[in-house]
Amino acid sequence: MAELRFEGVHKRYGDVAALRGFDVAAGDGELLVLVGPSGSGKTTALRVAAGLDEVSEGTVRIGGRDVTDVAPARRNVSMVFQGFALFPHLKVADNIGFGLRARGVGRAEAARRVAEAAGVVGCAALLQRSPTELSGGERQRVALARALVREPDAFLLDEPLSNLDPHLRSQMRVEIRRLHDRLGATMVYVTHDQVEALTIGDRVAVVNEGIVQQVAPPDDIYRRPANRFVATFVGSPAMNVLPADFRDGSLAAGPFRVPIRPPAAAAGAARLEIGFRPEDLYLAASGEEVPARVALVEVAGSDAFIHLDVDGVRLVARAGRDVRPMVGETLGVGLQPGRVHVFDADSGQTIE
Amino acid sequence: MRLGPDLRGLVGLLLPYAVGLVALIVLPAIVTFGLALFEWDLLRPARFVGPANFQELLGDEVFRISLRNSLTFIAVAVPLRLLGALILALLLHPRFRGAGAYRTAVYLPTFVPDVAYALLWLWILNPLYGPLNLILGAAGLPTPSWLTDPDAARWGIVLMSTFTIGEGFLVALAVRAGLPSQLYELAELEGARPLHVLRRVTLPLMAPTLLLLLFRDTVYSFQVNFVPALLVTDGGPPPYATTYLPLFVYREGFEYLRYGYAAAATVMMFVVTGLIVYLQWRVIHRWRRQFAI
Repeated sequence: MAELRFEGVHKRYGDVAALRGFDVAAGDGELLVLVGPSGSGKTTALRVAAGLDEVSEGTVRIGGRDVTDVAPARRNVSMVFQGFALFPHLKVADNIGFGLRARGVGRAEAARRVAEAAGVVGCAALLQRSPTELSGGERQRVALARALVREPDAFLLDEPLSNLDPHLRSQMRVEIRRLHDRLGATMVYVTHDQVEALTIGDRVAVVNEGIVQQVAPPDDIYRRPANRFVATFVGSPAMNVLPADFRDGSLAAGPFRVPIRPPAAAAGAARLEIGFRPEDLYLAASGEEVPARVALVEVAGSDAFIHLDVDGVRLVARAGRDVRPMVGETLGVGLQPGRVHVFDADSGQTIE
Repeated sequence: MRLGPDLRGLVGLLLPYAVGLVALIVLPAIVTFGLALFEWDLLRPARFVGPANFQELLGDEVFRISLRNSLTFIAVAVPLRLLGALILALLLHPRFRGAGAYRTAVYLPTFVPDVAYALLWLWILNPLYGPLNLILGAAGLPTPSWLTDPDAARWGIVLMSTFTIGEGFLVALAVRAGLPSQLYELAELEGARPLHVLRRVTLPLMAPTLLLLLFRDTVYSFQVNFVPALLVTDGGPPPYATTYLPLFVYREGFEYLRYGYAAAATVMMFVVTGLIVYLQWRVIHRWRRQFAI
């Protein structure tokens, strides 16, 4: 296994810049998740790492070696594609052993390693089957077995779970995580699903417009977002954001007063915003805090998301299983003071 | 029976084709089957002769030569045509500058009208001033007498047929374009060389289509050499070097006015074609089961 590093990578397709100074590294044995909306450049980054797309500028290193101009086959990485990319005409064993045979590994040696890899991902019973006979989860296992049979320096996984149904998805997510821990493999894992990103990654790189917005462990991404994009992209429902300014020694945002003193960094910012997550907006039965009218209640199992109308501003609060207000009811809402994020409204950067 | 608007539209669209199909193909085919049992020369009334026409065919040396010529033509021309269509489709599949022009060039000879195409080849194959022999001569290669030497004439007809491969080419091109690019990216990452990819990925995935093309082309090739054989070589060199089944039928019917005999030969041609179609069905059926397509 080895470290995989992007250094100032630019990728342009004609006039369109897919990557614009992409800088991030998956450490040796680390599972790094690239997460971002569609078109953010995360899949392009993966293809650049694999060598399927050439970089326009910058460097890709694997294990310290500059592989920017190295052919895909010589990078010793393996990839799991979104649609699994299994050969429909080859048996599972031949699919897993495809790369070994292509590289001239003997039949017996290849069969031994295929059986071993299939055992690791739990698809040993499928070796003589055809991919067309397999379920989505089984295909996923075969694709994983094929990725690990060559013992690559790094695994590249491109939305590996997006073709599976939700139940299977959470199950395979756990399995990939356990596989990673068992192999100590360097993995770069691309997804657009922020829940998947937070649950599976050692660290998460949030990507937008071809730039890494923040790289941090999942908890830090959630609790200390570096900017407004990360704050609103990660978390569901999204963080509430309101325009704000300092007045009389506290931060005023709509009807809310946040008792924090202006930080030095805020002095330069012309306009400010505050953000707070739905769970940091607490509800009170009476209207003693800020009065809010219930506009919509979304029940999501144990939680419910309460959409509120506060002075004409729409906010979302998360309520536990015992709180189910009626639409049209008036509640009191308040902010947990320590949980408020302050952004420079122009740059979007978080102000500490 | 009352038809919904969709069905009525469908019937409306199909009707002209169905009428044409019945009037131009189904009825003449039925008539041909009946006619094969008669002797008829347009002048005297038709006379029922039972299987006499078929008995005569089996003993007719010209028919045997024509059948052998046709089968030989198919055995040589069909693999060449298919290989040409496949190789050109694989070469012209990637996008590059001018790919569109090359693709058009491959398809173009296919929709030149048969007669114009034959006349063009009459010039190309001319032993004295035809460009083919001028080029061969300039390269120091033998310059066969395409129109008078029996073997050269047969090769000439095969050569003509290898340029009208547009349909097979288009089908192969479309099927290749439909293969998922991810499989090729994966093969590239896994370190598979181009020949390995061709052998292990491209050909197996295209195989069902290629087989279909093979048998389709076989059936088609029974008929395709009629115009060249008539206009370019006139069935010769003498006596019957390029007399294929369609030309045999044409001669017996329209030159010797033996319509019943010609019909019997057509039925024989139909039976041979039917055997090949059966073979097609059997082989493809097995492929389909193997790949669960």
